[in-house]
Amino acid sequence: MTTPTMAMKVLRAPRVRRSSTTFLVSAVFLGVVTLAAIFAPLVAPYPPNQVDLLNVQAGPSPAHWLGTDALGRDTLSRMIFGGRTALLAPLLVVVFSTTVGILLGLLAGWRGGWIDSVLGRIFDVIFAFPALLLAIMAVALFGKGLVAPIVAMSIAYAPFVARLTRSLIASERSRPYVAAYRVQGFGGAFIALRRVLPNVMPIVGAQSTLNFGYVLAELAALSFLGLGVQAPTADWGAMVNEAQAGLIGGYFLPALVPAIGIVLVVVAVNVIGEELSDRIGGEIPA
Amino acid sequence: MTLLDISELTLDLPNGKRLLDGISLTVAEGETVGLVGESGSGKSLTARSVLGLLPSRATMGGSVQLLDQSVLDASRSELLSLRRTRASMIFQDPRAGINPMRTVGDHLTETMRLCEGRSAADAKAVAISLMEAVRLPRPEEHLKQYPHELSGGMLQRVMIAGALTSSPRLLICDEPTTALDVTTQAEIIGVLAEQRESRGMGMLFITHDLNLAAAICDRVYVMSAGRVEEQGDARQVFRNPQAAYTKRLVAATPTIVVARDTASAADAGTDAAGTSTSTATASAAIDGAAPASTEPMLSATGISKTYRRGKEPVRAVIDATIEIPRGGALGVVGESGSGKSTLARMIVGLEQADAGDIRIAGRERTSVPSSRVERLEHARSVQMVFQDPYLSLDPRITAGKAIEDALRLHRRLSTTDARSRVIELLEQVGLGDVHAQARPRTLSGGQRQRVAIARALAIEPDVLVMDEATSALDVSVQAQVLGVVEEIRRERGLTVLFISHDLAVVRRLCDETVVMKTGEIVERGRTIELLGNPQHAYTRLLIDSVPRPDWDLEAVAAEASELEDPVAQN
Repeated sequence: MTTPTMAMKVLRAPRVRRSSTTFLVSAVFLGVVTLAAIFAPLVAPYPPNQVDLLNVQAGPSPAHWLGTDALGRDTLSRMIFGGRTALLAPLLVVVFSTTVGILLGLLAGWRGGWIDSVLGRIFDVIFAFPALLLAIMAVALFGKGLVAPIVAMSIAYAPFVARLTRSLIASERSRPYVAAYRVQGFGGAFIALRRVLPNVMPIVGAQSTLNFGYVLAELAALSFLGLGVQAPTADWGAMVNEAQAGLIGGYFLPALVPAIGIVLVVVAVNVIGEELSDRIGGEIPA
Repeated sequence: MTLLDISELTLDLPNGKRLLDGISLTVAEGETVGLVGESGSGKSLTARSVLGLLPSRATMGGSVQLLDQSVLDASRSELLSLRRTRASMIFQDPRAGINPMRTVGDHLTETMRLCEGRSAADAKAVAISLMEAVRLPRPEEHLKQYPHELSGGMLQRVMIAGALTSSPRLLICDEPTTALDVTTQAEIIGVLAEQRESRGMGMLFITHDLNLAAAICDRVYVMSAGRVEEQGDARQVFRNPQAAYTKRLVAATPTIVVARDTASAADAGTDAAGTSTSTATASAAIDGAAPASTEPMLSATGISKTYRRGKEPVRAVIDATIEIPRGGALGVVGESGSGKSTLARMIVGLEQADAGDIRIAGRERTSVPSSRVERLEHARSVQMVFQDPYLSLDPRITAGKAIEDALRLHRRLSTTDARSRVIELLEQVGLGDVHAQARPRTLSGGQRQRVAIARALAIEPDVLVMDEATSALDVSVQAQVLGVVEEIRRERGLTVLFISHDLAVVRRLCDETVVMKTGEIVERGRTIELLGNPQHAYTRLLIDSVPRPDWDLEAVAAEASELEDPVAQN
């Protein structure tokens, strides 16, 4: 009965979108970092653990572009190799937490009722624990390394995805097109999994992209605390940790470079995630 | 005296699209001028330009003169004073135009306190007198109420009172009754006419409803695609349209009044086609003379539904009984909250009836289907076309795929067979294979609703339920969709349950009609008889509330006398 009039559509029309330069820069930066990490042995000038005792804590030079650390290892090479764990671990967490979160959210949102209430309370409990604390507990129980924190972080981040999926599915469920599918004789499982879920996936995907940044920062913090990636494996968080001692002596570069790396990647991921959710948000029918 | 003078108004978007193209219109004091047209015709944009409410990046041309002020080159402060003293506007959806967190009193007195510097007590007194003027029942009490405590009709009165606080010379009404029920609409129109009369305001009334415009306007402008197609005296324009577009629009507008010759012509046409015996069956059923040799296609006996949300249980449907013969069409008419949609949802198996019995083609269809077999059988018994085609199609699935999915769910078909059947179905509803690849977003409202109909027909149901299936569409599109439905009924003998708030649409499509009010069926009968000679007070109220130009009243009287019924009209 209430049809939006032309005037309303014109007034509401989104501005003509310039493809944002920050978005492009972020995407290119992240692409370069990812490629460098994947092809690390080909790109890095030195092996990550090659010690050069003649050049300990050296400044930038043509031989070592970003200097060397206390053991004379090339900072640039360690950054490139460190990107592997720094990027792969959050990726795994995002994949696991998104998969689990979507399944639980779909279950809660589609079925509603007591399942929704029970799952909701469980999510509340998990929300009450900081993700980092859960990861530290996992390390305490299962020993140092990356596996336990990845599992713990996946559990900690799943409720974020689940909550979002649940609310999207619940609102989608009451739409007439779902009723139309029912009237046509389609079963609930088909409608939920094959029709409704794909409609909410883009928004969930954007949220997961944002999660990637947070997880990266938290896992770096874990390695910085010495609980995550163990020496001598190169990792950005661990590199900051190892370079701590040098800070007092004025050799800040080995700590600063990985720290800046973490910040830049997190910022880039957030820019991309925000942009994605904005773009998708504009297309969601009211 | 001329209040508003728009001449050669143009509006261009930065992308070069011209939305308004040389609009000229005038409104004099004490005059009601109608601006009619379909969605996208630019009628709202034209009206908004009077208050300077324009798209931010648009380029304007021509002139808009409101009394002695030119609107298009007015400064911001001039625009403000113009909106404060000269012209006010009432919008379509009152609920969207009021702050839900503030009381009605705040809404009404705010402008008076801030713009005119009145004291709070003074402003309150004015607000109360205005609320009395728009016939709100308890002004003192309403001042302290929040918008959610008032019904849509009452809220629209509050908006009218709010628009009148500045004593405007010109009142712009942008589809003020479109979101309201027909009886509420009649009341609101009454209030507006009364205020215009007593204040000597000019009124610019925008509507898509030709009958409404004809009933209240002195002069009308008919707009299409940003141009004024025709203008003139309302009676002249609607009875004797000159422009081709106006002619089409007038022809497409359904009316509850049917001249004798067109009615008999339609009947003759149906009989000549020899495919539909619905009229005959229908009258036989009414007379009760024919024994039930042929079972009714759809019969719902004594069905009830009560919702138990909150404290008070809501009785949505109370002991409703309907019956449709094979190939017949039954209209269910009622206002919002009458339970007509709940009735439809129970029949298609979306809701479980609390009591009663639903049978389709002799088969039990009362309960909500659960197993796969039950679901498919229920679906083959009855299909539904929903109200809003913008929401009832999956945004991600193309038209062709939507129909193909429905087809292949019910029948084993090879991909190529299914594809060709999809094209066939699309052609049947007046679309073509180009539309098969289109996502709903790229289709117009009418095209989407046709896709929805094709999708329902793909399953080849015994009964098709149409729940307000044309009420979101423009009149000309509605006419096309109704035409499609009529054709399918003729060709396939499809049985239709047509749910609508619009008596005129039901008049066009249905042999028989039932009237629902707060969950109960209050009257039933052949549509023509029911419209011409209503027995229940509520049916009479509904019919009287339908806006119609006064020249049509003569026709109604004539038609009623033709029925030769002993009960006198009114």
